[in-house]
Amino acid sequence: MKKALVIVLLIVAAVPLVAAVAGLPPHGSPSNPTYTHVSAYYLEHGAEEAGAENIVTDMILNYRGFDTNGEVTVIFTSLAAVFGVLLLTGAVARKPAAPEIPVSMVVRFIARLLAPFIAIFAVYVILNGHISPGGGFQGGTVLGALYITVSIVLGRDEARRLLPRGPKPWLQAAGPLTFVGVGLLGLVLTGYYLGFPTTPALAWLRTAMIVVIEIGIGVGGAAVLASVYETMEAD
Amino acid sequence: MVSWPQWLSLVALVPLVGAVTTPAVSRGRSRVAALWALGVMTVTSFAALMLILRVAREGPFSYPFGGWKSPIGIEFRFDEFSASIGIVCLVGWLAVLYSQRYVEHALEEPRIPYYYTLLLLNFTGMIGFAVTGDLFNLFVFMEILSLSSYALVAISGERTAEMAGFKYLIMGAISSLMVLFSIGLLYASTGSLNMADISSRIGDGAVGPIPLAMALAGLTVGFMVKAALFPLHIWLPDAHAIAPSPVSAILSGLVVKTGLIGILRVYQIYYGAKVLDLSSLNTMLVWLGAISIVMGAFFAIFQEDIKMMLAYSTISNIGYIVMGFGLASPYSVIGGSVHIFNHALIKATLFLAAGCLIHKTGYRTLYDLRGVGKAMPLTTAALSVGAISIVGIPPTAGFLCKWYIALGAFEAGQPFFGVALIFGALFIFVYYIRMVNSFYFRQPVHPEFLEVGEAPASMLAPVLILASLCLVMGILGRIPLSFIEPAAHRLLAPLGG
Repeated sequence: MKKALVIVLLIVAAVPLVAAVAGLPPHGSPSNPTYTHVSAYYLEHGAEEAGAENIVTDMILNYRGFDTNGEVTVIFTSLAAVFGVLLLTGAVARKPAAPEIPVSMVVRFIARLLAPFIAIFAVYVILNGHISPGGGFQGGTVLGALYITVSIVLGRDEARRLLPRGPKPWLQAAGPLTFVGVGLLGLVLTGYYLGFPTTPALAWLRTAMIVVIEIGIGVGGAAVLASVYETMEAD
Repeated sequence: MVSWPQWLSLVALVPLVGAVTTPAVSRGRSRVAALWALGVMTVTSFAALMLILRVAREGPFSYPFGGWKSPIGIEFRFDEFSASIGIVCLVGWLAVLYSQRYVEHALEEPRIPYYYTLLLLNFTGMIGFAVTGDLFNLFVFMEILSLSSYALVAISGERTAEMAGFKYLIMGAISSLMVLFSIGLLYASTGSLNMADISSRIGDGAVGPIPLAMALAGLTVGFMVKAALFPLHIWLPDAHAIAPSPVSAILSGLVVKTGLIGILRVYQIYYGAKVLDLSSLNTMLVWLGAISIVMGAFFAIFQEDIKMMLAYSTISNIGYIVMGFGLASPYSVIGGSVHIFNHALIKATLFLAAGCLIHKTGYRTLYDLRGVGKAMPLTTAALSVGAISIVGIPPTAGFLCKWYIALGAFEAGQPFFGVALIFGALFIFVYYIRMVNSFYFRQPVHPEFLEVGEAPASMLAPVLILASLCLVMGILGRIPLSFIEPAAHRLLAPLGG
């Protein structure tokens, strides 16, 4: 009975949603406003005025860079939320840590063998984001996953060395902070926050600014992912 | 100095940078974190003051990020409704000051720097939400705001707090999803994300009405959840009552208002476009507002827990504001918008004063707190000022806006709602009288707390400042009313009013 009611309710909710999507301008039609309005501008001018060959990178880091600035702050917020709610307090910290799960030698060997390659691939994805698909978010996730692998397979202490206590809180905030740093540089150069120099002579600087942001997002994302894992694992 | 364009970018960036650097700067020392947060809010408040002075002098203005003209890039647009960041900064600054001594007792030491981080992120979200001119950017700031709010509710780490935070998270996530889906519909229909550009592009009639109506419905319902309008209020009482008191003041005074600012932005898009007739939506909002007023007051009467009572009272007050918007007459919109500001003052006074009582006595029900007026006379006096303000007795801050909303009801030819509003105020009067009676005129059940004395100065001062502002705003009530007037007329102009 309850199940049937839920199904009916879902159908009732779905009808207006489907009707709305059906009423949108047809997908693929050349007159669709999503092709003719702002995105047409991005495609036409992105490659030469925004600093990255990859138009998607131009969009997310230059034209709509401020949104991405907000997104990396959302990621930081989730970290602060995890720390605020789950942070190890006295009672929990004194509890003896759960024993490490024994891992087979083969797995340990393979993890050790692959770790440097995974790290290099992550760096490649981060640095190549302005030319081909990829970028800080994707590369940062790979780095974060590497940390988790090391922590599971080689042990917590081994992993903890990768994220030293001193610079840790700065690394966790690396995403928003590099964004603001580059944004303020743009402010000095062009008069607008996150402005990128448009003169051809400074094209190298434009690309450099984009790469710096990608690195910041990558490092920050990896640090956040690693810290969230560490906290939740200990809880 | 007032017209320096960068104030508009800095007002969101300063709290953002302050928030992300709090853990690194404080390194676990809660005192440093508190001072850092206070400093950050001081700078932010100064920027907000400059912006408000500028908008009063020259009207709305924009800031294009990266120098890209809208709709290519993202712009911040500061209009009279954005001036609500003034109250965010004021209440935020006082709440940070108040928190310093409060959280020493209420939270475990290692959490405290993250508490301030989350508070600053919360302010960043509210400020960005109120000043942005871009629909997707609005969503991004809404997410910063929502995520930090969920965490702040649950931050004490107790079981009930985690449950309340989780309930809030589920409701909030559904509302965010509806808002995001609606933004998607508007983008697919117009190819643009800039609110002013969307408004003019849907106005030229090239887009079918069904996606637009669905987007309107999704945005309205999504923001209604955030604003806790009846019947979407069920997350509010637990979340607001269980959170630490300074957080309750922020959530109840400020965060729910974000939903209302969101509804105003939706109106700005749709009224200007003139593609849909909004009168049936307005009728619904007026009715829901009226029901919220009565239901909020009704449930509040039966509460024994003082913070629970205040939480239900927020639902009533949201009802007033939404009713004001829905009546769509100049008086009611002005009254509703100003009540956003005044209710924040009043509710912050009440929650912070209640926090002082709980902090010093350790009790939180009306029964246990009987006779507390003798032990903490200043706090109880502030609480009473808050109570008479929220009922709307002249000459306090609550009076003029409710008067304007009632006038608006008569102006819109719907006197019934004017009567409902006065009836609701009577209801509210009943339970606040009950509170004041119990604090002043009943024999204490726990005589031992007669010795406790007032809260420390850093907690008492914010309460007294807010309480005196409740009185001052009652006397100077014309200033915000005439400040918001041009914005209300601009909003309603397409209706031909």
